[in-house]
Amino acid sequence: MTESTAPVSLTVASVRKSDPLAERVRTTFMPRLLTGIAIVLAWEFVVRGLAPAYVAKPSTVLMAVPKVVVDPAFQKATGATLIAVAEGLAIALVLGTAIGLLIGRSAAFDRAIRHYVNGFYAMPMIIVLPLFSLWFGYSSATRIATIIFAAIFSIIVNVADGARSVPKEYMEVARSFRADRLSMLTGIVLPSSMPYLLAGFRLAAGRALIGAVVAEFFISIGGLGYYILYNSRSYHHNEAFVGVLLLAAFGVGFELLVNWSTRRFMPWYRRDEKAG
Amino acid sequence: MTASVRNRLTWTESVPRSLRHHAPFWISIVAGIAVWEAAGRSTSAAFMVPFSETIHRLWQLIVAGDFIPQLLDSAVLFFTGFAIALLVGAPFGMLLARIRALRIGVEPYIMIIYATPLVALIPFILSLMGFGFAPKVLVVFLFAVFPVIYNTVEGARSIKPELIEVARSFRSSEWALWREVMLPYTLPFTMTGVRQAIGRALVGMVAAEFFLSSTGLGQVIMGASQNFDTAGVFASIFVIGLVGVAFMRVGLAIERHFARWRN
Repeated sequence: MTESTAPVSLTVASVRKSDPLAERVRTTFMPRLLTGIAIVLAWEFVVRGLAPAYVAKPSTVLMAVPKVVVDPAFQKATGATLIAVAEGLAIALVLGTAIGLLIGRSAAFDRAIRHYVNGFYAMPMIIVLPLFSLWFGYSSATRIATIIFAAIFSIIVNVADGARSVPKEYMEVARSFRADRLSMLTGIVLPSSMPYLLAGFRLAAGRALIGAVVAEFFISIGGLGYYILYNSRSYHHNEAFVGVLLLAAFGVGFELLVNWSTRRFMPWYRRDEKAG
Repeated sequence: MTASVRNRLTWTESVPRSLRHHAPFWISIVAGIAVWEAAGRSTSAAFMVPFSETIHRLWQLIVAGDFIPQLLDSAVLFFTGFAIALLVGAPFGMLLARIRALRIGVEPYIMIIYATPLVALIPFILSLMGFGFAPKVLVVFLFAVFPVIYNTVEGARSIKPELIEVARSFRSSEWALWREVMLPYTLPFTMTGVRQAIGRALVGMVAAEFFLSSTGLGQVIMGASQNFDTAGVFASIFVIGLVGVAFMRVGLAIERHFARWRN
């Protein structure tokens, strides 16, 4: 009796051991794959059945990819948009972090400008486009300014939150060791605001992409947004949609990068999204 | 010295509490207006317009009779798109919450669309649907719906499976399960989505008015910009800014009201 049960329990154990992966494939991967296939098929057949021939559908978009990727105009547009987003984000990150730290650590500064920061943050960012185009003309300066305006406030708000939430004890210890204000700011406040900074940066990156695309629509300067606009106007919807896919990839890429680095460098920290 | 300290104390205490509480706010607002006024007066009128001029121009626009109807036009667009987003997003989010396989299947795609700059779809919407009211509502809807779905699903994930199991083992009907467990647990999260959706719907509204048929506040501001009417641009931005702040406040109030349920 005991001899016969032993192998049975062994097989149960071995089945359990190989379970997680198979289980994951069955409960997570398969539903996702099937849903993806369903979405693509539904899109394909709805467009085939109901829409004019030029409308983008998965099969034709896929066929357009090789042609678009080697197209110098597309590469140039992608480069222009990406460089503008990177520049704008870098400026917004530096300025936004500085202002955010000031707001978070100085009550007077906080009182003086918090309403303006919140006000600008609540403003639909693209409303400034007509003004910026008056100020900076129909040039790439308008695009950079729009990106900075779109991105900076989510960084300020989040960094200020982070700087406010630094544990009092840290500051007290630093003070009792006679640390000066600057080294407290760079040595304690900034590192402990880092997760907030990353959360703000994630939001800022998404908003910066929107800002870049919208600016390109508005002032018609070369970039991915303008590429999409131009091609869809001339009924090259498939080519234009490749641009949308690339923008989506950038958006998702930023998101994954920030999530990954939060987990990698700040494993103790889990924080829900701050503000939309 | 003690006398002066005493005096100061009595002086601050004699000021009503609410005023003392709000004083920094008003000082900051007045200072901001002063800075704006000074900056506007010291630069060229084409570049920047002082506060007084902005208000004057706003008054002119209102009296001319075109501004308020345009504002209402924008409001109709905003609320139509937003209402549809809420009516579609919240039930869909809860459906995803209830049917686990569906949620797991759809989740990554919602994440992808949420992270995609949806403004990039406007040219397609324009060439497919043209210049009517419907395409603009679609843009507002697209901007607003994903935060609602996303946050509702987040809320659903926070429901402890035990709660549903207990409800089931007491043979509660599907309807009772929704009313007693699903709705109370997901609603606070949905309201976080509503707050985020308000901000995004405003962006969608302006984007639709800029890039589809030009109407509403978008048209006012575009017209002013094309006529180099900097004062008109400032006046419109000022109004949109106030609307944005007011809506944000409403969103926060709604979220806080429902957050009392959330533990």
